[in-house]
Amino acid sequence: MTSATPQGTAPAARARKGADQPPVLVYENVRKLYGDFVALNGVSLQVNKGEVMCLIGPSGSGKSTLLRCTNALETLNGGRVLLDGIPLPTRETEVRKVRQRMGMVFQSFELFPHKTALDNVAMGPVTVLGMSEADARKRAMVLLEKVGLESKAGNFPANLSGGQQQRVAIARALAMEPEVMLFDEPTSALDPETVGEVLNVMKKLAQEGMTMIVVTHEMSFAQRVANWVVVFENGAILEEGPPAQIFEHPTVARTRDFLGHLGWNG
Amino acid sequence: MNFDWNVIWTHRGALWDGALMTVGLTVLTMLLAVPGGILLALMRLSSNKLLSSASLAFVEFFRNLPLILVIYWAFYVMPIAFDVQFSALTTALVALVLNVSAYNAETFRAGINSIRKGQMEAALAMGMSRRQAMFKVVIPQAARRILPVLASTWISLFKDTSLVSVIAVSELAYTSMQIRAQTFRVLEMLTAMAAIYWLMGYPQAKLVDWIHKKYGVKE
Repeated sequence: MTSATPQGTAPAARARKGADQPPVLVYENVRKLYGDFVALNGVSLQVNKGEVMCLIGPSGSGKSTLLRCTNALETLNGGRVLLDGIPLPTRETEVRKVRQRMGMVFQSFELFPHKTALDNVAMGPVTVLGMSEADARKRAMVLLEKVGLESKAGNFPANLSGGQQQRVAIARALAMEPEVMLFDEPTSALDPETVGEVLNVMKKLAQEGMTMIVVTHEMSFAQRVANWVVVFENGAILEEGPPAQIFEHPTVARTRDFLGHLGWNG
Repeated sequence: MNFDWNVIWTHRGALWDGALMTVGLTVLTMLLAVPGGILLALMRLSSNKLLSSASLAFVEFFRNLPLILVIYWAFYVMPIAFDVQFSALTTALVALVLNVSAYNAETFRAGINSIRKGQMEAALAMGMSRRQAMFKVVIPQAARRILPVLASTWISLFKDTSLVSVIAVSELAYTSMQIRAQTFRVLEMLTAMAAIYWLMGYPQAKLVDWIHKKYGVKE
């Protein structure tokens, strides 16, 4: 056992976070195919308000695909996704409105290399929300401070470390004041020494009550920060529950196998 | 053999006007052919089959015809075929723009395709429209990346404007040839022409190198 947390043994009967309110996101029997490959094979799931949900599982198990279906970067082949009880729209203008309510952070950062850190963050409010350049920059500066990068505002992405780029990317997503943040393996492309700074920013966000869905291979982050952990395999949910259940008393043998492969001996 | 280099000085006014016309034609052609190329590239990349094949047909047609033929065609055939009458200068411009747009279309298409899909997705995920994502995120990066190619197109175009001399547009080549015909100073005029083209082309090439160094995308 590595660093066991005392909360890990909290009574499992404690209510799930946000259960007293209607869920923010509901996935109903979501199916996604890439040609013959079944990426998502009927996934049903709900995300509560203020909840940090970690999606874990082997590569190719459908975690990232589910995230990309959430903001309509992928179209579904079956089932539906509801945001605040309303199914995701299909018309582009409406899809754009929905996307504005969700911030997305990518594995490969995807900062715009021809813009400074500040302009990367200010760009969304200017182009999408029609905010003035000056107001957007003010908002961007506040967010760069929040992720600890106010001194790098004038840097281009090429002159930032991986961890710094990802923190700018988080600020950029926050600039749209989203209701939900989607993280697609945010630390997988980082050098080990910069993983921590990104996870700390995410932890801070979680403490502020942001609803977050995080696809991750960082099991200790999932254990310490998540309120709910979902284990994927072959495009389906293997098991879901609070981290204490998943990491210490998994009810499904395959979950134990998966965690075992990662060297997790909880 | 006697040389009479004075002939160049004597006709300096005409040569100057010719050089100005050459530069003007190059600039004007590029000003039209860059948006033309972007438009054709976007049509080509569009999911609309009709737009895409129209663009492909245009590009393959004009890219695979000798420019001089397009110039002749625009001058002799276009007035009859489409019942339009342009000045020689406008005709030259049309021919050059058609040709260079086709090349620029391929250049922009390659540039746009070279930008990672994730950049478009990041822009869309923010709530941008496809058009905004294309014009604010993808094309600015693509343009920087293809700058060297656009630059060599520019230099080629600068020299290729000499082909419009065949329809009597009084740019540098036509003017030089006229002076040669009037004075029989063949060697002097051809040498002068070469010198003027080179002296104007070389700084442009250097300028382009500098622009590339300054604005190239670093990732």
